[in-house]
Amino acid sequence: MKKFLALALAAMMCLSMVSLASAEDVTIKFWFWADNDAYAQTMQEMIADFNATNGKGITVVGEQQDWNGGEYSNNLLTAAIGGGAPDVATFKLTATPAFVNNGQLANLDEFIANWADKDQINENLYNTMKQASGTDSIYVMPWNTQVLYVYYRPSMFKAAGIGVPTTYEEFLEACKKLTHDGVYGFGMRGSNGGQEPWGCFLYAGGGDWEHMDSEGAIKGMQDYIDLYKNGYVPETAPNDGFSQVIDNFKSGLTAMTIHHIGSSAQMIETFGDDVDAFIFPKGEGQWTSMGDTETVMFESCANKEAAFEWMAYLATGKGQETWCTVTGNVPVAARVQALPQFQENKFMKVSIEGAPVAGILPVRDTTTQWIKDWPGVIQQALLGDITAEECMKQLQAAMWEE
Amino acid sequence: MQKTVRRKRRSGIWPYLLLAPAMIIMLSVVVVPIINAVGMSFQNYNLVKPNKMGWIGLGNYQKLLTNDPQFWKSLWRTVVWVFFGVGGQFLFGFMLALLLNKEFKGRGVIRAVSLIPWVTPGVLIALMWSWMFDGNYGVINDILLKLGIISDKIAFLAKKDSAMPSVIITIIWQGIPFFALMILAGLQGIPADLYEAAAIDGATGWQKLYYVTIPSLRNTIFVTTMLRVIWVANSVDVIFNMTGGGPAYATQTLSVYVYNKASALDMGYASAMALMLMLVLLLVAIPYLRANFRDQEG
Repeated sequence: MKKFLALALAAMMCLSMVSLASAEDVTIKFWFWADNDAYAQTMQEMIADFNATNGKGITVVGEQQDWNGGEYSNNLLTAAIGGGAPDVATFKLTATPAFVNNGQLANLDEFIANWADKDQINENLYNTMKQASGTDSIYVMPWNTQVLYVYYRPSMFKAAGIGVPTTYEEFLEACKKLTHDGVYGFGMRGSNGGQEPWGCFLYAGGGDWEHMDSEGAIKGMQDYIDLYKNGYVPETAPNDGFSQVIDNFKSGLTAMTIHHIGSSAQMIETFGDDVDAFIFPKGEGQWTSMGDTETVMFESCANKEAAFEWMAYLATGKGQETWCTVTGNVPVAARVQALPQFQENKFMKVSIEGAPVAGILPVRDTTTQWIKDWPGVIQQALLGDITAEECMKQLQAAMWEE
Repeated sequence: MQKTVRRKRRSGIWPYLLLAPAMIIMLSVVVVPIINAVGMSFQNYNLVKPNKMGWIGLGNYQKLLTNDPQFWKSLWRTVVWVFFGVGGQFLFGFMLALLLNKEFKGRGVIRAVSLIPWVTPGVLIALMWSWMFDGNYGVINDILLKLGIISDKIAFLAKKDSAMPSVIITIIWQGIPFFALMILAGLQGIPADLYEAAAIDGATGWQKLYYVTIPSLRNTIFVTTMLRVIWVANSVDVIFNMTGGGPAYATQTLSVYVYNKASALDMGYASAMALMLMLVLLLVAIPYLRANFRDQEG
C-alpha cells in the first residue's frame, strides 16, 4: 500500500511539472462590450480564432461587460484602481484622461514603433490618440470608428414630397413635413448618450464645443427645443435613450433618427431597401460625432508583448476584418478599408463621406461629469424650466470652468 | 485550584474567539466602509482628477448645503418618495393581509402569487413598469384610451408631473407583499378571544379593527414601516432604471443623486451626500425606535 501511495505521489509530481512546463503559455484577460448578442458571439469566435492561430501560446479569455450608457468606462476604472484590471479592454477615447491621470494605461509608443503594420493606420488617428491623453505618447490603440449620420425612410420622404435635406434649414423643414398621422419627423434622444447627436444641432446653429454659450450655439439649442415643443419629435423624447430612438424608428413612429452604421444591419433587416442615410447637413457649421472604439493595455498587465499581439490582431489583422464586416463599423486599417464589402456598402459610403466633419467631444477631466449632467440640463430646457441661453451657459460652465 | 483558574481563563477567552469571525466580518464589510466614506467626505476625492485629490475639511458639506440647489430639491423628493411610497405599501399591504387572513378557497395560491412582486428583482420590475408606462406603446395608455379616460397618449415617464407618481406606483407595487406578509404573521398571533370579547361587547367590524387589530399589530407596524422607510429612502434601482432621475431631475431622490455623483467618480461629494442621507434617516429612526422600545418596556 505504501509503495502504491509513493508511486501515486511521484506520478502527481511529474504531472504537475508537466503542467508547469506548459504554464509558459500566456493568458490575456480581455474585457469588451457588444451592442447585441450576435456581436458578442462574433467576438468570442474571433478570440477562438486568435487562440488557435497565433502560434505563440497566447490564450485570450474574453469577458463581456455591459456598456450601460457609458458606465462601462467607470466600472473599468474602478476595477483597475481596485487592482482588478483586465490585461486588455475595449475603450472610449473620452475616458482617456481619467485612466492616464491615474497611471493605469500602458504606454504603447515602443510597441507601435516596432510594429510592422504601423502604417496601416492613418497618422491622424495616432495624433488623435495622443491628443486624448494630453501627452506626446500613445496609450490607446485605434480599432474602429462609427460616424453618426441620419437614418431616414425614403418611402416617407416620397409621401411627404420632399428630398434628402442638403441644408440645416431643409432638415428642420423636413422634420415638420414628415410629422403627420402619428408619425414624428425626427427621433430625438434626450436621455443618456444624447449629447453626440445633439452636437450636430450645436454646430449647425453656429456654435462649437469651445463656445457653447455663443449666439449660434443658443440658436442651435432653441431649434432643438422647438422640435420638441412643436411636436415634431415623440413626446417621450426627454426620456428616450438609445434603445427608444432605435425602436421608434424601426416601428415607423419616427421618419428620421441619428445613429451610426452599427445599427445598419438591423435597419436593413427591418426595412430592406426602404432605409437610407445622409450626413447631418451643414448650417452655420457642420459637425458629427466620430464614435470611436479603441483598445487599451493596462500597466498591470504582466505579459505586454502577448497583449499587444491581441491588440494588433484586432487593429489590422483578421479580427479587424471580421469585426467590421459583422458590425458594419468603419475599419481603421487601410487594407481592410479597401475590401469590396466595405467599398460597396451605402452606409459605409455615408460614414466615409462624414469623416471630414466628424469629431469627438472635448477630452477633459470634466467630460465624464459633463456627460452625466447633460440629460438633466437638456431636459430642463425641453420642458421649459430654463431657456436655451441658460441651458447653454450651464453646459459651457460644466465643461470649461476650472 | 489552579485548574479552576485555568478553566475560568479559558472560558473568558472562548466567547471572544467564537465571536471573532462574525466581528471581523462585520468590521470589514460594515465599519471599515463607513469610516472610509466619512474620510472621503472630507476630501476632494474625484477619481477623474487624481492630481487634485486632498483634504478639504468641510468643503463638500459646505458646497452641498449652501451651493447645490439640487441637494435640497433631491432631499425633498426623497421625503415625497418615501412618504407616498411606504404609505401606499402599508395601506395596500394591510388590506391584502386582512384579505389573506380570511378563509376562502384558493387562499394558498393567492398567498403565493401575492409574493411575486417582492421576489422579483428591482431592475426587472423597473423595466416591466417602464414598458407599461411607455408613452408610445405602453399598455396603460392603451387601456386608458380604450376606456375613454384620456384622448391622447401620455408620456408618463417623460413629463415632470407624472414621472414621480409613476415611479411611486411601481415601488408601492413592489413593497405591498412585504407589509402583507409581516402583518399577516402579526394577525395570526392575535388571540381569538380578544375578538370574541369585543363581539360580546357589541363591537362592529371597524371597532374591532381599531381597538383590537391595530393595537395588537403596533410593534409589527413599527418595525416593518421603519425598515421600509430606510430601504425605500436608499433605493436606487427602480428610479434609476425607469427615469435615471429625470426628466429634468423630477425623480432624482437623494440616493439617486448620490449614485449619479458616485458613478461620475466624484466619490468625496457623493460620500458627503450619503452621510447626510444617513443623518436624516437617523433623525427619523432614533426617536421612532426609542418610542417603540420605551412602550415595550412600559
